[in-house]
Amino acid sequence: MAHAHAHSHSVKRYSGLMDWLTTVDHKKIGILYLIAGGLFFGIGGIEAILIRLQLIKPMNDLVSAQVFNELITMHGTTMIFLGVMPVIFALMNAVVPLQIGARDVAFPFLNSLGFWTFLFGGLLLNLSWIMGGAPDAGWTSYTPLSTTEYSSTHGVDFYTIGLQIAGLGTLIGGINFLATIITMRAPGMSFMRMPMFTWTSFITSAMILFAFPAITVGLVLLSFDRLLGANFFDVAAGGSPVLWQHIFWIFGHPEVYILILPAFGIISEVIPTFSRKRLFGYSSMVFATILIAFLGFMVWAHHMFTTGLGPVANALFAIATMLIAVPTGIKIFNWLFTMWGGQIRFTSANLFAIGFVPTFVMGGVTGVMLASAPADFQFHDTYFVVAHFHYVIVGGLVFGLFSGLHYWWPKMFGRMLNEPLGKWTFWTFAIGFHLTFFVQHFLGLLGMQRRIVSYLPNQNFDTLNFISTIGAILMGVGVLLFLANVVVTARKPSGVANDPWEDGRTLEWSIPSPPPEYNFKQIPLVRGLDAFWKEKMAGNKEMTPSEPLGPIHMPSPSILPFVMSLGLFIAGLGFMFSTEEFSNSFMSLIFNKYIVMIVGLVITFAAMIARSVFDDHGYHIETEELEGEGKA
Amino acid sequence: MSAHAEHVNGELPHEPEKATLEGRNKVLGFWLFLGGEAVLFGTLFATFLALRHQNNEGPTAAELFSLPITAAATLILLVSSLTSVFAIQAMHRHNLEKLKLWLIVTVVLGLGFLGLEIYEFYEYVAHESFDMKTSAFSSSFYTLVGFHGAHVAFGVVWISLLIAQLFKKGLTFVTAPKVYVSAMYWHFIDVVWVFIFSVVYLLGKVG
Amino acid sequence: MTANQQSNEGHTVKHRHRTEGPEKHIIVFIFSIILTAIAFAAVAAGGVNPAFTIILLLVMAILQVFVQMGYWMHLKDKGHLMPIVFMIGGFFVASTCIIMALFWVWW
Repeated sequence: MAHAHAHSHSVKRYSGLMDWLTTVDHKKIGILYLIAGGLFFGIGGIEAILIRLQLIKPMNDLVSAQVFNELITMHGTTMIFLGVMPVIFALMNAVVPLQIGARDVAFPFLNSLGFWTFLFGGLLLNLSWIMGGAPDAGWTSYTPLSTTEYSSTHGVDFYTIGLQIAGLGTLIGGINFLATIITMRAPGMSFMRMPMFTWTSFITSAMILFAFPAITVGLVLLSFDRLLGANFFDVAAGGSPVLWQHIFWIFGHPEVYILILPAFGIISEVIPTFSRKRLFGYSSMVFATILIAFLGFMVWAHHMFTTGLGPVANALFAIATMLIAVPTGIKIFNWLFTMWGGQIRFTSANLFAIGFVPTFVMGGVTGVMLASAPADFQFHDTYFVVAHFHYVIVGGLVFGLFSGLHYWWPKMFGRMLNEPLGKWTFWTFAIGFHLTFFVQHFLGLLGMQRRIVSYLPNQNFDTLNFISTIGAILMGVGVLLFLANVVVTARKPSGVANDPWEDGRTLEWSIPSPPPEYNFKQIPLVRGLDAFWKEKMAGNKEMTPSEPLGPIHMPSPSILPFVMSLGLFIAGLGFMFSTEEFSNSFMSLIFNKYIVMIVGLVITFAAMIARSVFDDHGYHIETEELEGEGKA
Repeated sequence: MSAHAEHVNGELPHEPEKATLEGRNKVLGFWLFLGGEAVLFGTLFATFLALRHQNNEGPTAAELFSLPITAAATLILLVSSLTSVFAIQAMHRHNLEKLKLWLIVTVVLGLGFLGLEIYEFYEYVAHESFDMKTSAFSSSFYTLVGFHGAHVAFGVVWISLLIAQLFKKGLTFVTAPKVYVSAMYWHFIDVVWVFIFSVVYLLGKVG
Repeated sequence: MTANQQSNEGHTVKHRHRTEGPEKHIIVFIFSIILTAIAFAAVAAGGVNPAFTIILLLVMAILQVFVQMGYWMHLKDKGHLMPIVFMIGGFFVASTCIIMALFWVWW
């Protein structure tokens, strides 16, 4: 019935570049996210190495103080919003629909729109480097540092508007995955039979839904202050800088859990597979995830202990923060018990997963230390904090992402990554990581502040900073080894088995690698947790289908998401330069009279109207075609 | 009842918006979006509540607001919420003519609300020297109420577009979920307004 | 209005058991009007204890929103578990923002 209108419409199918610009296939969008995320991850990594090179010795003058401020701001912003989030979305796109036995996501068009909005927002933000200066007020952009009074370039405008557009894309992506997981699960796949990565993607998407609107408002307020002369954060006119800190962290703290939860999910897939055991304590894992997400919204002010909220608020937020250690501890023990007595295989994916556990525990322990408000007065704004959050974000999330990439690479691309190179990647990256950040704990305790461009010699900072920089270069080598692995692998012929690790437990391993565009020729019937493993144990080679073979309805490709995002990009640029004084009268006309902004908005709205007015009937892949592909 | 001829073969079920997977996804996805919108407006309300006494020697809320205009705007939006309920009821009866009629009434009421709001803002800027730059209170007032107004304006354009589609395509499995979702959006705007007239205008008068 | 709907009955007779009349929604509307009127009246009258007025305003607003979301947005109907879960989530996070604004911006 759903496809009543779909027959008799022929749909243009593109190839080459046009195919990638118009695709609504979640697997291709996943690859686009991976490429874009990888690009921004690389930019953020170069910024990191420049920061470390500047700090390699006391009183260094590799970069100026202004450039240093821009580097630290863009490193943090790029890595969080444009580096790791898209790679998370890459894996979610590549894996979640397969894990729940779905042919597609709930909103293929919106999925594409989410990607292009993110990409154009990210490009806008990074354009700041060549358009008059990058943002320089730190990734938190605290007021009054980020107001026009103290940050007079357009840097912070690129920050507010670039992040606004990129954040819109993330929000759209989150809604898409929520709806996909709620409505598109295969028959028999109840919530409590969902793989852990799907669960954490679900909870992460819910957190995106509730956290991103807060930063949307925060960025609107900041850009209104800067561009329209509003007074939200202007003390002289009655505004409050503390308000910005609150709004930023009401978003910002959930954001870091948005980052780490998918890593928990990846680890919970990789460890059971390579231990040949089911995940220990599945239901406690699910509830721990939900609890972490819930508590994640109630601890934001632990970033503001030194702001002066008073003992009651500090005590409340300290206790709430320490509570999070409980569900997180449950997870750590569950992973350890999963490995206990298992037949562990040390593949590169599993090395990253096993390396994750102690590294993340270290980040967690310093987290509990920081949660103690009186102690935080000592740690605040020192390298101890820098060490802490790099232990959880790099030692946690980035390890998790590398693990997931090595694990699912054959499913995404049909080729196994080179195992020896993968192990080299792990050891170089892991050793480099600990060299870089372990010593930073002590730098912080010795009193070295974060965000400073240089330091005086003979304060016991010199050796530790030198070690830290060597470690950072080693991490860079690790990333290059991974890139080399990707290149080497891409030159090999495609076509690994459905289940290349041979111990795959979940539905994605029951279909070809890479999967056909419709994923499942017949939607499988799920009979338990670890659905594919269950069938294997019952002696079946494949899943039992839940439906007869029939024509499959597919959504048609569309260029409109690209056009809508392009319009937002143009409108953003127009709004940003609306207050600029141009010497050229033509530029002055089109920017100061908001003409560029209006043109951009018109493009976006015209594309939205086109999407609404012209029905997308999609097309069908016929039964004969499906049978033909099965034989080939 | 000539409209009946335009039904899709008379096969539409009672709730055509939920007849297809696409339709059900659309309704669910829109609910999720509204959950996010709740946080968006929650943050805007929080900003307003934090800054509402910071009038920076400009006009205060008690001096500025006029209850009759707010009451009129409230009545208009409340009635428009009711008319969009009638539109959905007409849709469930497959009565295309009534559906279009009620949607048109809703749009007209929405325009009336917008007109009042523009008049109010114009009065403040032109005669009370109360604009975006006056004070932290003025900035938070215009941003909160303006965001709501922008939502109303978007809704008016959106529903008008849907009316045009109903004239062209009639009530189908494709148009029905769109109409249903736009009605959800319109109710949500009304719900936000309930908080705005209570927290911004009435509370402003109380002090 | 009622007449129009009656003239429709013939066509939708097979759905009659599920088709509801406008009465319920008109009752919700009248209820909303009354709640709004109480709120406006309390403020317009003045002289009432401000703390009491504020509580009254909030109760009237929350009641009205509750009824409208239940009936007009169909949240009270079956099959709305996920919408309810996510609306509660949204209102929960929104209320943490409000608490922040009321207690932790100025001190």
